Amino acid sequence: MKKTLLTGLLFSASMLALSAPAFAEELKVYISSQHQPQVWRQVLDKFEAANPGTKVTIETGGNTSEAQAQYLNTIMSAKDSSLDVLILDVIRPAQFAAAGWTSPFEGKDMSVYLPAYAEANTVDGKVVALPAFADSMFLYYRKDLLEKYGIEPPKTWDELKAAVKKINGGENNADLQGLSFQGKAIEGAVCTFLLPYWSQGKSLVQNGKLTFDKDAAVKSLKLWKSFVDEGISKKNIAEVATDDTRKEFQAGNVVFAVNWSYAWAQSQGKDSAVVGKVGVTRLPAMAGGDQATCLGGWEWGVSAYSKHQEEAKKLVEYLSSPESSKFMAINGSLLPTYPSLYQDAEVVKAAPWFADAKQVVETAKPRPVTPRYNEVSETIRTTVNAVLAGVMTPEDGATQIESRLKRILR
Amino acid sequence: MSHVTAEGPASFFSGKPLRFIAATILLVNGMFPALWILFTSLKTEAELTVKPITWFPHAPTVANYMQAFSDQPLHIFLFNSFMVALLSTCTTLLVSVLAAYALARLNLKYRGLILSAIIAVSTFPLVTLLVPLFEIMRALNLLNTWIALILPYTVLSLPVCTLMLVSFFEGIPRDLENAAMIDGCTRLGALFKVVVPLCAPGVFTAGILAFVNAWDEFLLALSFNSNPALRTLPVGIQLYQGEFAFPWPVISAALVVGIVPVAILIVIFQERVVSGLTAGGIKG
Amino acid sequence: MTTSTLTTTQRIEKEPPAWTRMLDLSDRALAVLLLAPAAILLSLIIVYPVARLAYTSFFSLSLTSGLPAEFVGLENYQLMIEDPVFWETTWNTVLITLITVPGALVVGMGLALLANLPFRTQWPVRLSLLIPWALPLSFAGLIFAWFFHSEYGVVNDVLNRFGIEGVIWFNSPDLAFAAICLTIIWKTSSFMALIILAGLQTIPRSLYEAADVDGAGRLRQFFEITLPLLKPAIVVALIFRTITALQTFDIPYMMTGGGPGTSTATLAMYIHQNTVSFLDLGYGSALAVVMFLLSMCVTVVYLRIIRTKE
Repeated sequence: MKKTLLTGLLFSASMLALSAPAFAEELKVYISSQHQPQVWRQVLDKFEAANPGTKVTIETGGNTSEAQAQYLNTIMSAKDSSLDVLILDVIRPAQFAAAGWTSPFEGKDMSVYLPAYAEANTVDGKVVALPAFADSMFLYYRKDLLEKYGIEPPKTWDELKAAVKKINGGENNADLQGLSFQGKAIEGAVCTFLLPYWSQGKSLVQNGKLTFDKDAAVKSLKLWKSFVDEGISKKNIAEVATDDTRKEFQAGNVVFAVNWSYAWAQSQGKDSAVVGKVGVTRLPAMAGGDQATCLGGWEWGVSAYSKHQEEAKKLVEYLSSPESSKFMAINGSLLPTYPSLYQDAEVVKAAPWFADAKQVVETAKPRPVTPRYNEVSETIRTTVNAVLAGVMTPEDGATQIESRLKRILR
Repeated sequence: MSHVTAEGPASFFSGKPLRFIAATILLVNGMFPALWILFTSLKTEAELTVKPITWFPHAPTVANYMQAFSDQPLHIFLFNSFMVALLSTCTTLLVSVLAAYALARLNLKYRGLILSAIIAVSTFPLVTLLVPLFEIMRALNLLNTWIALILPYTVLSLPVCTLMLVSFFEGIPRDLENAAMIDGCTRLGALFKVVVPLCAPGVFTAGILAFVNAWDEFLLALSFNSNPALRTLPVGIQLYQGEFAFPWPVISAALVVGIVPVAILIVIFQERVVSGLTAGGIKG
Repeated sequence: MTTSTLTTTQRIEKEPPAWTRMLDLSDRALAVLLLAPAAILLSLIIVYPVARLAYTSFFSLSLTSGLPAEFVGLENYQLMIEDPVFWETTWNTVLITLITVPGALVVGMGLALLANLPFRTQWPVRLSLLIPWALPLSFAGLIFAWFFHSEYGVVNDVLNRFGIEGVIWFNSPDLAFAAICLTIIWKTSSFMALIILAGLQTIPRSLYEAADVDGAGRLRQFFEITLPLLKPAIVVALIFRTITALQTFDIPYMMTGGGPGTSTATLAMYIHQNTVSFLDLGYGSALAVVMFLLSMCVTVVYLRIIRTKE
């Protein structure tokens, strides 16, 4: 009902936009419908109120990161000027900057943001986009089960395995899966590969150059395969996508799950079997390594083809301001991009779990910052998928990743 | 002896048990996937992940349909799909009737070549033309209009329809046309007053082909019409899927809503489609 | 008012408007006029974009490199020859064509023969052939992805009921490929069946009756009467099916996204990926040109067949 009303409003708003008299400046913002356009609308309303004469309309697009990228790629490669401000997945600013599709923000001080976002939005020393909201991968766990067996949240993957074995031995429930993660050839599988890889202190790309460590890659792929082989994860893990993990965990069929922040709210929702039984923590480390997690989140960019550069930049500055970040944290449950907001009384009151989330987000690493990220991603995710499906050995997988990445980042 | 063996299988082939088996096979093959989606659309998300899976919904609910219409403006998607398919069917028919008539009747010197060319250029997959087509539509200022889809969809069905109509037109005796022209009709008049009505089944079948082709298309619709008010159904269905979420029951409900209009169309016109094909359109 | 309309109609009947009369003068002028709309549309939507693709294929143009387009001659084609994914996707495309085209023909023939039985009510039979045909490809892909899901899919459920252990379809290249081919065959066999059914209904009963008198069995009748008479219809259907099979995109895109690995990706998917996702327009264009040539080969064969018939 609420949604009908909102869709109705949005729709009539866009209809009005067509008939309304021309404003001095009309900006069009591209937001995907998964990113709560109705809540962002409220932020835009505030901007409009503060900037009379500027009118902002929302265009919603494909609902997955890939669908959006395909749509934006088509529009931008045709140099279309209809969009002024774009929301971009954290992995895209580098590509958009290299293609010359976004206008840089000169002299912007990025130190106010979480460091990872300063890094993800800076390409060749230029600030190419500003953070919209933060996200990262978390280890979700069943607090009740861990307490029952007197287990601390695991710090290493080995501890996680031991914990699962202990719980499985006690519960004797064939439907209870130890660990759910993403093995399908989707973007999430890139993070799947990177988590243990990073944990060994290795990086994949530095300054646009490949710094591939084959041993670490083999170990990473072997680790995930071992979860399948040891029965800790499902045999069909190669067809598990992000939301499958969320559903399984929410139904109470999983002890540990690797997932993004969106799964939290739903795990505490009315359809959940695990309300009040969920904990979140940093992802475990490889033995002897550091804990590492994958950075998510979205950014605001100004289209280089926009005919309203100044106004568009002003809008992006506003959308990325502490004020907007706080508003979205409270009203949209989006993780703030400013470290200080995690202690903000109002934010903590609206989303108490953000207190746990801060240390995770703070230590999250961005995926490789390269203009050819799509190709890097494609290589990694299809290989991870093939290894988990048992089509390819971890060694062959690592060799394939290495040879293809060498070609891409030559 | 031979009489008996001829009789045996013959009675089986026209007998009731075989007809029953045949009907079962045909119906299961044709209807099962659609029915399965119908069942899925009546289940809750929780029931969907029950193991072993349930076939019939335990507690049928129409909530998914309500949500399908409230999450996205499904009625607008339906309307757009319908209008785009209908209009592109009309343009396809008009263009292919004219072309087919020229090819069938006008003793053209390069008839074979033209026919080949029409087929040859149309074998090119539209998927690969996405970027140049987008640029053309933008240059013509047609993005976010029905025309942006009607033009490529017309081309999509043009070769099949033209071929089909050529062979239909060739089946019409020239005398009838000549008679009409003697009565004062022009050639074009004769085409629309005599030839087309006589080939009605063929024109009709070609129309259905064009309609279904346009109703199905996804990729161009996704790229050219980004305005929510102009999206078509296959694109709209994609919007129910979130970055992470894949709400099967709601998507199924939307699919059912998308299948029903075509199913109705088919139930109404099924006899004509089959008879159109039978009437000689596919003799080549 | 009535009089005025009457006179207008009369005038039209007496002497057609000047512009149409002019057309009567020459067949050639009329032909040009009649073919013009088709020609304009085809040039705009196909010929011009294809020409642009062919042109772009000689350039190194990757939007992610930030570099301007540079003429590189045949370099993109050279890259292609060395690209294992190009060969894999091309092979997959050819394999899908080789499996699903005859597959759809055989299944379609079977369905048509069944549907041609003397049913009292015809419409449910026709409907069951028309529904799969009218179902959008993207819908079919989605629905069958769900069918073949290892845990919640109906295929494994049915297998389990027969005491066969379900398999994880999308975990194995062969099974995933099989699932895709089955889906394509299901989707396309019904149109094949419709065309064959249409052909079957034009065969005069008297031919079979004569064969009965001669004592020819059903099987012989099928091979000596039915099949030869159906041949023209089948050939046309096969060629169109082959061309669309070479363009296979929606079904694997929706079902597996090309996985596991790239084992079920088709050439059309690879082109789409290179242009729309990787923004490597030069390479993507070269791939598209190769695909065009592949389709042309089929078309040439097709035109040969049509011509020999005439």
